[in-house]
Amino acid sequence: MNLRKRAVLLAAAVLCLAAPLRAEEKAAGTVNPPPRPADWAAIAKLPDWSGVWTPFISDQDKRIKTDPVPWQPKVAEQIATMVAEEKAGRPKGLFIDCLPEGMPTWMLITHNAFEFLFTPGRVTLLGEMDGNRLRRIYTDGRSHPADPDPTFHGHSIGHWEGDTLVVDTVGVLPQAYLAISEAVGIPNNGDLHVIERIHLTEPDVLHDDLEIIAPHVLTAPWKTTRIYFRQRARKYDIVEGVCLQGFFAERKDNQGNAVFVPIPHADGNPVPQAK
Amino acid sequence: MKRFPARLVVLGALSALTLPALAHHSFAMFDFTKTVTITGTVKEFQWTNPHVVLWVNVEGKDPKTPDVWTLEMTSPGNLTRTGWNRKALNPGDKVVVELNPLRNGNLGGALVKVTLTATGQVFSTNLRDMEKPGLK
Repeated sequence: MNLRKRAVLLAAAVLCLAAPLRAEEKAAGTVNPPPRPADWAAIAKLPDWSGVWTPFISDQDKRIKTDPVPWQPKVAEQIATMVAEEKAGRPKGLFIDCLPEGMPTWMLITHNAFEFLFTPGRVTLLGEMDGNRLRRIYTDGRSHPADPDPTFHGHSIGHWEGDTLVVDTVGVLPQAYLAISEAVGIPNNGDLHVIERIHLTEPDVLHDDLEIIAPHVLTAPWKTTRIYFRQRARKYDIVEGVCLQGFFAERKDNQGNAVFVPIPHADGNPVPQAK
Repeated sequence: MKRFPARLVVLGALSALTLPALAHHSFAMFDFTKTVTITGTVKEFQWTNPHVVLWVNVEGKDPKTPDVWTLEMTSPGNLTRTGWNRKALNPGDKVVVELNPLRNGNLGGALVKVTLTATGQVFSTNLRDMEKPGLK
């Protein structure tokens, strides 16, 4: 028997031993089993979403008119005030505290790029800007927890329907904004549910078809789409983006240590010299 | 050393297409119907999220104390993608800056374009240049 045949037999024996245990654990839903060669091989059959995706910002702006948000009347009044204030040059910055935009606002209004990572049982989105901007989408068949701890990006489970990733998200903090711009949005106020169908429409164009169910602020589910373009040139690579860093200047202390020193800010901007 | 006088040029209304795409906070405090050009010297260039900031010394009424203009841009990631880097501008560099000024008249604005006087190199901030796939 040559070395290769022995290796194949050994691998088969290991899989036979491992499989029953894996099935039990999977049924219990208590562990993340180690990926098998077949799990990695399955990833190679998924659509290629590698590279960096930059948002179609002009289209984000247009969709505010073409896909109007079905705000509840009381919310619509607040939104109208924000729109008027922004038009008058007095924007109320929703994200100047540097807390994450969260879901679904990241997908709706981001001006920064993001990337996808495919690993066994999971799709991960990594973005830029407000620090730890990432989404973990479990594709291992698990359900949502009965009572998930609320987070900015919620609890997401996904499955593939052909080349479309269908993502279901719950467990988003009620304080997380449902925003259509940096200065126009409302806290979702709880029970938010987002369903996404993410798919390529052209080799380098990705669509996220969103259905946003926010019973405390909307009269009906809001359906809209966001579009992203693939870049492969390395200058488009994702960089670290720590939002709070902008509130500090790089200086030296009395001992010569490199330190951050706060910069006076007002409404999210460094305070300019008066006229 | 020769000092460059402040040169303020207010251009007419621009089309809405030139509105910058900048994240994190709304840029509505800037007047995008006006473009002002200033000539001065880089005081500090801060390459951080959420907005890269450029401070420029510009000769003002008091010849001994320059005015300091505060100019905001998008994030380092987006600027890298449009050809900038953290050493694009350095303290002491002579620059000509086009900006959309603050509506309240304070010395600040949204940076549209900066030209290095010494080399003629230009850096601009239009994220909409990235709205197509497969860019070089």
